[in-house]
Parts: sequence; structure tokens; C-alpha cells
Amino acid sequence: MSNESSGIGLGSDDAEMKRGPLGRWVNKAIKNPDRAYRSMFYVATVFFLVTTLFPFYWLLVIALTPNRLISNMGLLPKGFNPEVFITMFERVPFHLYMFNSFVLGITTTVIVLLLASLAGYVFGRLRFPGKSFLMLGILAISYFPPAAFLIPLFELFTGNTAISIGFITVSSPDLFNTPAPMVFPFSALFLPLSIFILTTFYGQIPDGLEDAARVEGTTRLGALFRVIVPLSAPGVATAGVLTFIAVYNEFFFSFLMNNGEASSWAPIVAGILKYQGQFDTPYNLMAAASIVGVLPVAILVIIAQERIVSGLTAGALKE
Amino acid sequence: MGDVKLEHVSKHYDDVTAVDDMNLDINDGEFICLVGPSGCGKSTTMEMIAGLTIPSEGKVFIGDREVTNLPPKDRGVAMVFQNIALFPHMDVYDNISFGLRLRNYDKEEIERRVNRAADVVQLEGMLERMPDEMSGGQRQRVAIARAIVRNPGVFLMDEPLANLDAKLRVHMRTELQRLHKELDTTIIYVTHDQAEAMTMSDRIAVIDSGQLQQIDPPLVCYNEPANLFVAGFIGSPSMNFLDGEVTEDGFVSQNIDVEFDPANLGVEVGRDVTLGIRPEDVYLIEDEHLVTNPSHEIDAMTDVLEPMGDEIFVYLKLEEDAETHLDEDAVATNDQLLMSVAPDTDIEEDKDVSVLLDRSKVHLFDTETGKAISHGIESGIQASEPTGTEAESDD
Repeated sequence: MSNESSGIGLGSDDAEMKRGPLGRWVNKAIKNPDRAYRSMFYVATVFFLVTTLFPFYWLLVIALTPNRLISNMGLLPKGFNPEVFITMFERVPFHLYMFNSFVLGITTTVIVLLLASLAGYVFGRLRFPGKSFLMLGILAISYFPPAAFLIPLFELFTGNTAISIGFITVSSPDLFNTPAPMVFPFSALFLPLSIFILTTFYGQIPDGLEDAARVEGTTRLGALFRVIVPLSAPGVATAGVLTFIAVYNEFFFSFLMNNGEASSWAPIVAGILKYQGQFDTPYNLMAAASIVGVLPVAILVIIAQERIVSGLTAGALKE
Repeated sequence: MGDVKLEHVSKHYDDVTAVDDMNLDINDGEFICLVGPSGCGKSTTMEMIAGLTIPSEGKVFIGDREVTNLPPKDRGVAMVFQNIALFPHMDVYDNISFGLRLRNYDKEEIERRVNRAADVVQLEGMLERMPDEMSGGQRQRVAIARAIVRNPGVFLMDEPLANLDAKLRVHMRTELQRLHKELDTTIIYVTHDQAEAMTMSDRIAVIDSGQLQQIDPPLVCYNEPANLFVAGFIGSPSMNFLDGEVTEDGFVSQNIDVEFDPANLGVEVGRDVTLGIRPEDVYLIEDEHLVTNPSHEIDAMTDVLEPMGDEIFVYLKLEEDAETHLDEDAVATNDQLLMSVAPDTDIEEDKDVSVLLDRSKVHLFDTETGKAISHGIESGIQASEPTGTEAESDD
């Protein structure tokens, strides 16, 4: 490094002097800035690939190493134990946890898309006083930390809250260990983003199309679901995929609103923690479960990434 | 079944009145054009008939039913939109059958009707196409087919030809007239293009600032405009207007006087009036033999010539330093006159000429209210000479 930098110093004094390789590279880069940009791109790309993909590789290394050998790990697995991917299903019914995650994700996505479609229609296509203020309020909710809602929601969903109206006292139902205490908070928390995406999309559908549908014989709702939603398919897909992934990845409510049993609608988070025994901690099984748990979302993103990217940017750029 | 009635209909937005106390009575089977400048409320009027906008006051009737608060789907109307508004995610067949499918017609009936509608607008063999694979004229025909397939009592057309090129527009105009003859349904047609209104409609409803100005057959609107606005709006180029006053001898203005007996027209002396005369009713002195009821000679100077092929528009300056105002609507230009002459007329720019007006085609309006006072001046200095033509007769 020192003789390279001296090369630059000498080179700047006298162009005829011989230079180090870095000096030559710098000189070329000055003449041709594209080279510099390209190398910057590679550096950044490699950095991101390493930071995002290395943990995944590390999971694979740990999964393939037999549990008793996991200590002082290097970059390669110590041993090769692919049976771990079968053992993990034998030890814990992980497929049930995954099923729970899917059910929670799909239910939430359906609820969010339905409500966000109605809200997106209102915000994107109607004019009424206080609209921007309301929109701001909705977006503000999405910035709240979920922890802020935990205690009241926990009290509510475990049946510890009672409301008195005159003589009648209604206590909230005990929903602990059912999907409801997860689906409701998820829907509320992930709605704002979907509303925001769908508002931009629905706002861009020409009024004439909705009018045409209404004259042809639909109600406003009919026009929304027969014309506006199909024409906003990229936006709806984006909102749906993002919501599903967010729910699938959610930890907080998923962990706290059930007792961690597959029969209590606990999702994969609980499934992975379930491997923890009283006398051992099977890191290899946990790693294998993590990989299996990540796969569906990874596949979904790969399939839908073009849609997501075009959906996110189209909202901002179209017309 | 297809008669439409608006009773004292108004529409107010926050601080604007889009439509102000509109009364319309449209008969079954009639072709009515709503014309007016942009923003005059004609589209709002149509939307209130369609049900897309609910009026602030007044009632709307279609057939014998009051439909003021009914949603569009229950009004039995069909509409063709300015931007055509085909559903881009459906092919032509699905577009045309959209309304029928919503009403749960059975498959065969839908197919029979769609084929017939496609037949009427000459779209055979294109039912599988998507809207973005079609030309503007074809899309417009699909939109019309979508409207006629339900056999509605009333057709609403909101500037359906505005987005087409000039040639196609003229073609579609004839198509629409043919369609009207074939279907014999009420058509309410909104346009800002007075040529479309003149050529197609049974009656024209001229609207300005949300108010109905006149509703009459096209030639009546042309020959007997009810007020200054209609006079200036109908006809292209616009009518000439001169501000003046009524005296014992007739109309007196800055540069042009027209003699008449105020008593005969029922105008009191001293009233401010605006005289209107169409470019084709201004003649060169050489053509005096064509005019049965000429005014006296007017000295002028030619300014700009606009040869149109079938006629020449001549801008005349009545004063030396008059400025040319090209194409201003309904503005009295006292120092300027627009004349149209035959294309073979020997005329040059910047030459002194003498012109005269056909007094039987002179319109007088009250300057203050804009209301028409008279169309054509029959009697005057040549009262002894019988006038051969009726004031209201066509050219």
C-alpha cells in the first residue's frame, strides 16, 4: 500500500516516472469515470450479497454439521448430515407450524386487501373534507411500535376486559390460542401500507371507466371489484405479497398471543423455539427449520419480485 | 318511454353553480344536442340525467318515472363517453356484453344481442380483440355497441367524437345519424362543436353559464337566435355585432347606420341595442342585385382575406386605424366587420370597398339583457317595395 501511494505521489510530480498498479488504475479511472462507477457498483453489490447471504450460508453450515460437533466453527461444515431435514420434522411437527403461518398470512392478506381496497377507493377516488388529515393519521399508525399495543390487546384478547353498558356487562371473549389475536393486530398494523399503495393505484383509473361500469349496471362497489381492482392488478399483487411476507416474518404478536403449541395456531417462530429441550439445544435442527421456514417466502419473492418492483414504482411514476 | 324531463334542476358545487334552474323537455325518439362552451354545465346536465351526479335541486324524469335519486343502473340509460371508456382488461365481446351479464341474461340471448349490436356498428369478426388492438374509430364503435346492446330508452353521448381525428369525426357523425334513424331512440348528445350540433340534431339546446339559452331546431337557432349568446355561438365564423342606439331613423352606431322605423319593430327610441349580422349577409356593392332589402352603402377598407376554397372571409376595417380582432366570440367590434364573399370575387387586401347589409337578415338585440328584439327588418325607407323573402327563410 505504501509504495502504491508513493507511486501516485511520484506520478503527480512527474508523469514519466513509473507508477504502482493503483496509480495506473486511478489515472485510468480519471480518464474514464465509468470504470470507477462500475467498480463502485461491484464493491457495493458484493458487500450486500455477503451481508445478506452469508447468514443464510451460515445457517446451512450449522444445519449440516452434527449438533455435537458445533463448536469453534469454521467456514465449512464439520461433517455432512443431510438427514437433519428429516429429523426436524420428526422432533417437532414443523409442517403444522408452517401451515399455521400460511393460514395466518393468507387470512390477514385477504382481510387487508378487502379493507384496503375499500379505503383505497375512498382515498383515491372520492373528495371529502379532512381527507389528507385522515390519510396522515392512517400512515402515522403504521409508525407506532407494535409493543405499544401489546398490553391492552393482550388484556382484551385474553378476556380480561369488560365493558358495561347500563345493566349489561360484556366481557371480551378469551381468544388466546386462536388465530384471532394475531390476525386482528396484523391486519391493523399492515393495513396502512396497503391502503397507501392501493390509493395511488385506484386514483389513477380514469373516472370514465367507473362511470361506464355504473351506467352499464354495477353499483359503486361492483365497479370497484369488477373494473378498478382488475385494472390495478399489479398494485393489488404488490400489497398482497408485502402483507403476506410481513405477517409470515412477524415475531412479536406471533410469540405472545399463544402458548407455542402447533394446535394453538402458533406460527413457525414458536416451531423453531420448540426444538429447545430441557437438556440440549439442537442448533442444527433449529438452523434446518429456519432454512425450511424461509424457503416459501424466498420463492414467493423470486416469483413476484418483478411485480413488486414495478408495482412500487408504477404507483409513483405512471402518467 | 324515452322522453326525458328536467324540472328546475340545479347543481351547486362548493362555491360554483354548474347548472342553474334547468328545464328541459325532451321527446321520445328525439336527437337533442346540448351545446355550449367548455364549463357551461352541459356535461353536468348529462351526468344528472345519467345519475352519475345527483342534482342539488329539482327533479329528473325518464319516461314516466321520477329518477332523481335512482342510481345509474336503474335508470334504463346507456352512455357513450368522451374518452370512450372501454374496459381495457376485457375483449370486445366482454365489453359489449358487460351490462347484459350483470343483468343475468342467459348465454344464448347475450350472444344473439351482442352479434346484432356488432352488426349494427359493423364490428363483425372483431369480437375477440382487446381494446388496445383497435383504432380510435373501432373503439368508438365498440362503445356504441355496448350502449345499444341493452336497448336502453335513452342514449347519452358525452362528446363521443371529440377524441377522433377530423375525417373520422365526419364519418362517425353520419354513422350516428344512420344509427338514430335505425333505432329511433332518444339521443342526448353533448358537444361543444356547433357544427356537430347543427348537422345531427332535431333540436339544439344552447347552454351558457349553467343556464338554458335556447332550445330549438338548428335552423331556428341559426336564423332566430334568442339572445346575443346564441347568436354568437351558433355559426362559424361568428356573427358580427355592432353596439349602437335606436333613433327616430333606425339604428345608429359609430360607423354603421341602418334605417328602420322603430315603431314597426316595437322598440322605443333611445334604447341601447346591439345589431347582429352574419358574414354571409354582408354584400359588396357590386352584388346589390342579390339583396332584396339592402341597407345603404357603407365605406370600408379590406384588411385580411381568408380564402376557404368555397368562400372568402374578408375582414373589413370601418376606420383607418381599426385593429383586426380575429375570431372573438360575441364581442361587439364597432370598427370592424367580417364579410364572406364568393370565391371568384375580385378582391384584394388593403383596398377601399363599399358594402351593404341585407336588412332582412339583420338581428337586433337589447344590449343590456342580450335578448333578441327582432330578426330582420322588413319595413324602412323602401317600405313601398314589397319584400320578396321572409326574414327567417334559409339562404
